[in-house]
Amino acid sequence: MTEIHPSLGQCAVVAAALKILLFPAYKSTDFEVHRNWLAITHSLPIWDWYYDKTSEWTLDYPPFFAYFEWAMSQVAKLVHPAMLRVYNLEYDSWQTIYFQRFTVIVSELVLLYALQMFIDSAHGISRRAAQAAAISILLSPGLLIIDHIHFQYNGCMYGVLIASLVLARHKSGLLVSGLVFAALLCMKHIYAYLAPAYFAFLLRTYSRIWYRRHPRASFGPFALKGQMPQILSRLFPFSRGLCHAYWAPNVWAMYSFMDRLLITVAPRVGLSVNQEALKSVTRGLVGDTSFAVLPEVTPRICFALTLLFQAIPLTKLFLRPTWEAFIGAVTLCGYASFLFGWHVHEKAILLVIIPFSLIALRDRRHLSAFRPLAVAGHVSLFPLLFTPAEFPLKTVYTIFWLMLFLVMFDRLAPASNRQRFFLFDRFSTLYIAISIPLIVYCSLIHQVVFGNRYEFLPLMFMSSYSAVGVVGSWLGFMGVYFTS
Amino acid sequence: MAAPSSATHKPRRKSKKTATYDAFTKPEALIRTPSFPLRLSSGPPAAPCFQSPPMFGDFEAQRHWMEITTQLPISQWYFYDYQWWGLDYPPLTAYHSWLLGKIGAIIDPTWFELVASRGSHDPTLKIFMRATVIVSEYLIYIPAAVIFVRRYSRLFGVAPWTAWVALVAILMQPATILIDHVHFQYNTVMLGFVLSSMSSMLAGRHMWAAVFFVAALGFKQMALYYAPAVFSFLLGTCIYPRINVGRFATIAIATVISFAILILPIVLGALYDASRGIDSQPDLDGPRPPLPIFSQLADYLDTNAIYYPVVEQLVQMVHRVFPFARGLFEDKVANFWCAINVVIKMRKYPTVLLQRISLAATLAAIAPANFILLVRPRKELLPYAFAVTAWGFFLFSYQVHEKSALLPLLPMTILLAGKQGLGKDIRAWVGFANLLGAWTMFPLLSRVDLKVPYAVLTLLWAYLLGLPPTSTSAYFQEGQNAWLQWSTALVHGAFYLLMIVWHGLAQFVATPPDKPDLWVVANVGIGAAGFMLCYLWCIGKLVQESGILARKVGQSAKSKTQ
Repeated sequence: MTEIHPSLGQCAVVAAALKILLFPAYKSTDFEVHRNWLAITHSLPIWDWYYDKTSEWTLDYPPFFAYFEWAMSQVAKLVHPAMLRVYNLEYDSWQTIYFQRFTVIVSELVLLYALQMFIDSAHGISRRAAQAAAISILLSPGLLIIDHIHFQYNGCMYGVLIASLVLARHKSGLLVSGLVFAALLCMKHIYAYLAPAYFAFLLRTYSRIWYRRHPRASFGPFALKGQMPQILSRLFPFSRGLCHAYWAPNVWAMYSFMDRLLITVAPRVGLSVNQEALKSVTRGLVGDTSFAVLPEVTPRICFALTLLFQAIPLTKLFLRPTWEAFIGAVTLCGYASFLFGWHVHEKAILLVIIPFSLIALRDRRHLSAFRPLAVAGHVSLFPLLFTPAEFPLKTVYTIFWLMLFLVMFDRLAPASNRQRFFLFDRFSTLYIAISIPLIVYCSLIHQVVFGNRYEFLPLMFMSSYSAVGVVGSWLGFMGVYFTS
Repeated sequence: MAAPSSATHKPRRKSKKTATYDAFTKPEALIRTPSFPLRLSSGPPAAPCFQSPPMFGDFEAQRHWMEITTQLPISQWYFYDYQWWGLDYPPLTAYHSWLLGKIGAIIDPTWFELVASRGSHDPTLKIFMRATVIVSEYLIYIPAAVIFVRRYSRLFGVAPWTAWVALVAILMQPATILIDHVHFQYNTVMLGFVLSSMSSMLAGRHMWAAVFFVAALGFKQMALYYAPAVFSFLLGTCIYPRINVGRFATIAIATVISFAILILPIVLGALYDASRGIDSQPDLDGPRPPLPIFSQLADYLDTNAIYYPVVEQLVQMVHRVFPFARGLFEDKVANFWCAINVVIKMRKYPTVLLQRISLAATLAAIAPANFILLVRPRKELLPYAFAVTAWGFFLFSYQVHEKSALLPLLPMTILLAGKQGLGKDIRAWVGFANLLGAWTMFPLLSRVDLKVPYAVLTLLWAYLLGLPPTSTSAYFQEGQNAWLQWSTALVHGAFYLLMIVWHGLAQFVATPPDKPDLWVVANVGIGAAGFMLCYLWCIGKLVQESGILARKVGQSAKSKTQ
């Protein structure tokens, strides 16, 4: 078989060069969070990890991630021990920055390996498409913005997720796939949102449900000491608000937007307006959102809605447990949790985009559902970086990525054997076209016209726009999923 | 911009003859990266600009020029405070600065306030300034490179895809990106005009070649490094194959007119300001000072005449642009004089003597190449002749700056788009020159803490072209003179090894206290030796390609092996 160029490795080298150049770029508080975890895991006995409160950024990831930090701290102490002192808060010498940024790039090798597995698992014509999809994930602006500028280790963990998804392709890999996914759950619990799809798929294809027992292995040492309640309270902070500070583009963002509109309409119609909430929404940037006109939303409602919309696609998976249906179900679980979840961060959009990328090239119908998601998902990440220095980079890189891969996908995706949703295509083209004036308005015109007033407006427009895209692509994909 | 479309260009005739491009000599690494050219050519140039080094040097100079051109009457531009980054570039740079300053003042007027804005570190200003470099490059350099590569590769019948690969390699030249986007300058504007001039020559539009070259000179006086080659080629086309007076007259008139247009705003500004009673040197009390240079002119001219402010203005401009009074070299730069300075201390000789020696050496270095170009004004020879001339100036002329290495590197790098451009021989030498060029700039870059972009950009370029230290695929090819290959590989290998060892030493070993500049001097010495080799290689190739020694077969083979 001839190799298809450019290979994944070559792209990775070029991408790594760009990422190294970005070392001095803006970094969020997540950088300090991870530095603090390095310090905690290195300096404190294991039993104190989940109790330490020296920094406000306490350890709130599951134990495997803590072990991962511990392993990195073993290297860090050779490089620059000063970053490992727990009381050394806000420490960011250049050695620390270079070390931590470098670990992100190195840990992405997991992603590289998983993507290579994905390419190797495809055969024939679809191999080309698989390669394109893999490169699109590797070069994803989402990962670039979140991991390499904002600072997190998502690349590594999505690598584990993709490995687990690919392993499930063959019957022999099912058990390992379950185990890998369980390990992933113990690194970052956000992936629990995808667990129902795994549960249904493995239940149907692999009679014994081993993996359910597995998480106990990672929590084991802590459970023995009776630390579970403390860990759980760290992992699931229900005390936070419904909408995250930056307005993740989900159903609740549209709900807030509606509420905002109703505030102006309500007095004329005679609805009562909650005066306290007015200030809160106007501030919009930090803190909890409460609604002025519409009824409050409780975590319970969110949870119920999420479960409901996760259960719908699972019925089909249960009836016809193919690998494609499994990936579709994982994607839809991601959608449901992103759209209806409590305190969703916009970074969670990757939970949808990345599994979807694996099947977006199956045919044109999948692709037309994927396109608005790719635009909306990445545009919604823009507010994460708000410093002027990063503005041109994030915009130019994302636009290039979108142009390159949407055009390439368009050429690679085979025609579907079923009828397309005619209007849906028109909708998605129109939608993508709107993104250009919107970005221009939010980043330039608003500043010129209003100065620093109404700061929440661009954010709200962005997130409502993105929410329309995400919801639209969700509905579209639902249709594709159930008709294919 | 996708496919070469226009089929009416003259070079098509040649393409049949020389369409023997060997598919097996393509560098593997670059060929493996389809879909990348676009992203690569735009990504990295944009990326390092977000590094924010302390930029009190060139950054402040450029910002300051935007300040004075937008805030002062035009007649004071070249007279204003020389000590704080006075304007010492030709008029087109001044107009460019004026335009950018006007645009910037719309965004934030405080960026370019007179005096008050000096040393401004506003982060948005940095973004604006970086963006102006990128936009200027995209408006001038990149279109020029695209058109040049298309014409040049068609001259040899190189496949479009290969030409695109070469284009990416040209646009990603590490030294150019490092100086313009990571350090801070607008060299690509001047280089873009030079490329436009060269591609006009390829297209046979000699008048436009002259116009573009005047624009390059008007932007940066450094373009003079190419001037002899431009002159020889244009004159040569008027003489050979037959004397063509009409063409000569067109070129001459076009040159004169474009120079006139170039200085017209300054002339008119001087007259207008004089008529309004605005003095070009308002700080001066007492009588008008004599002319800074050409002071004997004053004997023939009436200092009260209406044209005198114009003369004064132009003389002052020439005085600023060409600082004759400075030494042979200022900083450590990898040219002949600085290298020889290790053995013989040059500064003990009188300046006039040094100036004469350097002039003689430069003329000797560029004369053979220009003679060849004059008698054989063939388009295929252009890059070689430009490279030889620029190397000659860089190595032997007076007052050379490290950054001037960009000038010989550009014509050498565009060879990649030509005959056998991505073949092993040319790739090895072009790569060697570029990596060595970037390496000699390392002391300059490390002063402002730009080691990481340096390492990343040079290694990436080496990787994409399959060059050492990432690959040895540019050497050893079957069916060629084994002795030649071995000698090239050994010489290059020795230099690459020296560069790597030097990096190790400079990073980890402190210099002896009595010789604080030891590593820099070593860098200069090695660099000068390597550049000398590049000069000899270019001149050897020029002789070989021109066929001027075709009868003496042995000699042309020999000249290739330096």
